[in-house]
Amino acid sequence: MTFRTPGTPGTPTAPVPLDLGKLFAARLHAARVRPYLATALFALHTVESRRVPTMAVDRHWRCYVSPAFVAATPVEELAGVWVHEISHLLRDHHGRGDRVARERGLTGPGERLRMNIAADCEINDDVFGEGLARPEGAVGPKALGLPEGELMEDYLRQFRLGPRTQSLAWLDCGSGADGLEREWDLGPDGSHGLSAQERDAVRFRVAQGITGRPGDAPKGWQRWAEEAFHPPQAWRELLGAAVRSAASGSGAGQDYSYGRPSRRSAGVPGAVLPSLRRRPPRVSVVIDTSGSVSDAELGSALLEVASISRAVGGRRDLVTVLSCDAAAGVVHPLCRAEGIPLVGGGGTDLRSGFTKALRARPRPDVVVVLTDGQTPWPAARPACRTVVGLFPRQHSRGSWSEDRPDDVPDSPPAWARTVVIGSPAGAR
Amino acid sequence: MPAYAPFSSTETSAGPAADVPQLDVAGELLALLRDTGTEPRPDTQLEALTLAVAADLPVVLWGEPGIGKTAALTQLAAALDLPLTTVIASVHEPSDFSGLPIVGDDPAEQGVPMAPPDWAVRLVRAGRGLLFLDELSTAAPAVQAALLRLVLERRIGSLQLPSEVRIVAAANPRSSAADGWELSPPLANRFVHLQWTHDHEVVVRGLGGTWPRATLPRLAPERLPEAVDFARRAVCGLLSARPALVHRLPSNEARRGGPWPSPRTWDMTLSLIAFATAAGSSRDVLSALVRGTVGDGPGLELLAGLDRMDLPDPETLLADPAHAALPERGDLRQAVLDGVVAAVRNRPEKSRWDAAWALLVRALETGAPDLVVVPATTLASLRQEDWDVPASIEQLAGVVSLSRRADRAATRTAAAAQARR
Repeated sequence: MTFRTPGTPGTPTAPVPLDLGKLFAARLHAARVRPYLATALFALHTVESRRVPTMAVDRHWRCYVSPAFVAATPVEELAGVWVHEISHLLRDHHGRGDRVARERGLTGPGERLRMNIAADCEINDDVFGEGLARPEGAVGPKALGLPEGELMEDYLRQFRLGPRTQSLAWLDCGSGADGLEREWDLGPDGSHGLSAQERDAVRFRVAQGITGRPGDAPKGWQRWAEEAFHPPQAWRELLGAAVRSAASGSGAGQDYSYGRPSRRSAGVPGAVLPSLRRRPPRVSVVIDTSGSVSDAELGSALLEVASISRAVGGRRDLVTVLSCDAAAGVVHPLCRAEGIPLVGGGGTDLRSGFTKALRARPRPDVVVVLTDGQTPWPAARPACRTVVGLFPRQHSRGSWSEDRPDDVPDSPPAWARTVVIGSPAGAR
Repeated sequence: MPAYAPFSSTETSAGPAADVPQLDVAGELLALLRDTGTEPRPDTQLEALTLAVAADLPVVLWGEPGIGKTAALTQLAAALDLPLTTVIASVHEPSDFSGLPIVGDDPAEQGVPMAPPDWAVRLVRAGRGLLFLDELSTAAPAVQAALLRLVLERRIGSLQLPSEVRIVAAANPRSSAADGWELSPPLANRFVHLQWTHDHEVVVRGLGGTWPRATLPRLAPERLPEAVDFARRAVCGLLSARPALVHRLPSNEARRGGPWPSPRTWDMTLSLIAFATAAGSSRDVLSALVRGTVGDGPGLELLAGLDRMDLPDPETLLADPAHAALPERGDLRQAVLDGVVAAVRNRPEKSRWDAAWALLVRALETGAPDLVVVPATTLASLRQEDWDVPASIEQLAGVVSLSRRADRAATRTAAAAQARR
């Protein structure tokens, strides 16, 4: 590792030399108390810079260090800053910052400062402690009056620049924290940067270290490690894809058939052409109205199913909704999404809902079940495609019934395509 | 303006433009608009696609509509010197791919032949070509079913496509596909999945008049045996250490329709590594290919394994510590030093122990000191009673003080935490 000194001989005050011993002692301390981050800490390339206020990272994994800051900060706090800066890179704050800026139309340096603060809040609420000192002036969600344990994207919605953030205006973790290029950045062509593949490899190694020994790392890091390479997908997309592929499978929807000759046949004598037949899918939605599913959850999921079935060419009168608790209710055609009485509450038995939905004539092509899963399932695969929208529940309450105390609810069966509803929507 | 000379001599006041047909002016304007230049620029996506096509593996390009998939295919066809046939799947009928049943005079005697469409006949007659199946995901299910037979078995009706015909498909991701078709896991397992995105900079520069010209990989004939050997070592090394990675069906909804590991995809990966090595492609290209074949997790593990294969061998370093070349990057350097210490532990001899100390001194002279602490501590603990401490160890005094400094910081942090309680 070689050091790069920017050619700034004409600085007015006598420049402090960079105390490398102190900087590396701090990194060693950080790597000892956070062994799972050691790979990432050592992969960072240090660049001395007199233009950064403290320490800053860029998206190519270089760390710019101010000699004056190193001189003025104790070793244990420097270790905290090392871990803080590496967290920006591991959690891909620059990429996420760019994405948020595009999605929400945030422009200008003020917004990037807000991103930096929000990213700091995400990091600082759980990286310190356990042998790692909190650096002076580290901003946390508490200082802004915000709840702990949320993601940068969530924090970004919750505060504005104002008197509370006035003292943070100097705060600058570099382009690695918020995606905005700084004048001191060496850029993609500068020396010792990590390529995209190398960055992924380091992040993967760290994530593997954490998932391999989950006891050592705090919750926030474990969540990061699980999602680093498999970000949770928005349930709307997944539910949509599941319903669409169920509705457009063979036997439903628009497809070619040899049942009736094509109109093009006249032009090709002797050849038999298939013709395009349109059969809009019939979708039957079975809703679990037991006490454990909230109306808001149901409402959003139901609207989603209705709009999807319209998109695949279904007509409103072909979507039926059936509310179901221990006994199945009446089948309603979906004429107005808000007009369906969701009667029920109490225990659930979705088997009666299935029976009722399948008894309808003509038979539905797809059955969509919206449930929290606290129910017995049909023993055999029903005669049509099944999509389960599952509301996750931590505790198995709500299903317990006095008559059958030993009845443990099963997870959705393998013949159904299951989408978990309400998981964080594309957090990173 | 010599072109307008006959008119300008007689009519100067009305101006020459009045008599030029409007379409000619429009043609001139179009010519000006089309007059764009190119510049060489590395293109990871296109390089990955070229390698996969060269390796004769079915590729599916996933990308939003209108981001230049077709333009990329045109460039690829030019680079491979193959005529390009584009078939837009969504405007075809299944019979265009599975063949039209032609009822003859005596079906019972002669059977009903399945007649192939004209483009397929031309392709077979040419004997070679690049077949691009666009809009795979917006075609009706029966069309897709017919197409998949074409992609996987190279058959159109009764016609067999020659092996010099390469096939690439394109599909829209399910978030933007109007009717959201997706691959079932068995089908997904037969493709190399490449994500196709646009580069903002390239698009802006291209609209400004300069499009990129990718320099495409060329396979070096003299590197072929070495490439096959390298690919076999990489894949077998990983799979013998991690048997669980050989076959793993995607379990959750989010990973359906994407790449996943199976013996078939590992075989594809092996070819891709060999091709990328023979072409001297970068790790970024290989990363896109491997992750698009076996999925992110197994792909990254394989790439991590390749990184380790690149590191210098501990025995070579121990044999000549004075001229050892250690990697610049801190994490790799520490991995090498740990490997050296482990090698000494496996076969402890005085000379090897001394060589390891010399290596640590060299590491200290050429890089960050905190990396040396852990290997030095471990190496010191390997000392046997009759071994004298080498003179070079004095140069490591700085490491000891660095380590003490970190210890003191740890003590202070613990004390501060105690005081707050």
